[in-house]
Amino acid sequence: MTRGRFGGKGEGMCGMRIAVMLLWSVVVCSGCSPYDMRHANQWNSRDQIWLSEASQVKVRAAQTRVFDTTDRRKLLEGVIATMQDVDFRIDVLDEELGIVSGKKYIDLEGPQGAGTSYLLYRSDQLLFMTRNYRSWGPFWNRDDLVRFTVTIRRRGETQSMVRASVQHYLRAVETPEIYQPFFRALEQALFLQAQTAP
Amino acid sequence: MRFSTRRRLHFEARRSVVFRAFAGAVGVILLGTLLTACTTPEPAKELLAPTDAQMKIRSLQTRKFDLKDRTVAMRGVIAALQDLGFIIERANEPLGLVTAARFAEPNYYDVVTVTVIVRPETADQMTIRANAIYNNRPIEDPKVYQNFFAALQRSLFLTNE
Amino acid sequence: MRWVIPLALMLAGCVTHSEPAELFQLTPESNRNRAMQIRTFETKDQRELLSASASVLQDLGFQVEESVREVGFLRAAKERSAREYGQYIQRTFVLILSLGKALMPVDLHQKIAASLVTRPLNPEGTRQEVRILFYRVVWKGEGQVDRQYIPPGEQHMEMIRDPEIYQQFFAKLSKAVFLEAHAI
Repeated sequence: MTRGRFGGKGEGMCGMRIAVMLLWSVVVCSGCSPYDMRHANQWNSRDQIWLSEASQVKVRAAQTRVFDTTDRRKLLEGVIATMQDVDFRIDVLDEELGIVSGKKYIDLEGPQGAGTSYLLYRSDQLLFMTRNYRSWGPFWNRDDLVRFTVTIRRRGETQSMVRASVQHYLRAVETPEIYQPFFRALEQALFLQAQTAP
Repeated sequence: MRFSTRRRLHFEARRSVVFRAFAGAVGVILLGTLLTACTTPEPAKELLAPTDAQMKIRSLQTRKFDLKDRTVAMRGVIAALQDLGFIIERANEPLGLVTAARFAEPNYYDVVTVTVIVRPETADQMTIRANAIYNNRPIEDPKVYQNFFAALQRSLFLTNE
Repeated sequence: MRWVIPLALMLAGCVTHSEPAELFQLTPESNRNRAMQIRTFETKDQRELLSASASVLQDLGFQVEESVREVGFLRAAKERSAREYGQYIQRTFVLILSLGKALMPVDLHQKIAASLVTRPLNPEGTRQEVRILFYRVVWKGEGQVDRQYIPPGEQHMEMIRDPEIYQQFFAKLSKAVFLEAHAI
């Protein structure tokens, strides 16, 4: 930027400022920063309360298997054993209701080092950390966190339905290929053949 | 007044001695503080001793109800807290414990937390005790507890319809 | 550029206070919320109600976080993106108006939670109520005002008071248990 082009010095500064500003707004609007820019953008984030999977029927089929047994206990034991085999930490277990839920951390993007304050945070508390504590900490590790819930429900007189659902990277995992190995391992643990849910 | 060279030298020497002594003292004090550090504030002796005021609050926080079943009492507590707009955070049936929280709406900066313990007193009486905390300060306002128990009464009464 | 800071404060909203005693009082509003959050079912089977609720929540992408069956309590949550186009547009406007000095933090991350409780309404336990409460906590990313860096992680919380969301949940639940849901 020369003086000749912009006339006065002040104008030159102003031009530069506008250029920087434009550059900034481009970065802000479309750019790609490590964490935030990869999240889905939307018009109203409240929609997420209700928004579920792309095609509910298809996803449910991928996540569900039907077993020819009504032995909830046996199914639960099989589910827990399989979850432990793939290193999940069991957080919730309700035999009567047939609910198992757990989590694990996977380092997909290299070591960021989840701080202990993050790992020990209690999900049942209203606020994440303290009111005034602010950092990237609680977020960055969210791409490592995998949550996994399995529910077992009776289906008719002789069958049970096992439904597994995974959450990772602020999304529900919908790829059928991810659920297949889990159900295969579960079949092996139970010595039972499963059918896909109609 | 004019000092002779000798006297001046003497003066300078004395001054440096004074200075050295002073520096030494400062050094000792500094070293002392470094070694001992500051004294931490000691909690008062009566930290764990309930005061009369606290006993009074305790009686405000506690009510007896003619109920036989602890689960029914706990469900009543949960319903009352929900009616008041609290979010149930934890419940523990074997311990008779319910914790709930809500923001001090309309401001979302302050949090009110309530811990309720349901304890069987006799075969057909339950003691229900509620502790409310505003951010990290215990609430001592009797009206808070009166209002809570009014809501609880209402919710237990609804169950028995 | 000092005026940028009051501007940012203005955008952040102001703080009002309410007395603790008021928070423990039933208001007409709490009755309205009650009606919205509760449905009753003619059934003895509380277990089935809870288990069906868990599976409906799972359908919606929630992960179960706690279950205390003895008191009929279930808590589930899902974490989703909270980014909104509108906020980015607003951010760009503020950036331009402040001549590149103010970069407002935008919503990034949200946790949507559901807290569900069932309880029998009569001593025989033939009528059960299901009460669900949705709320969400939203976290903002980083920002900058003048030379001052705003660290990420500012959180705000919101109770969900949209009746339609509750209606839809109960419609799904009554379908799952093959029972009619009655409003109170």
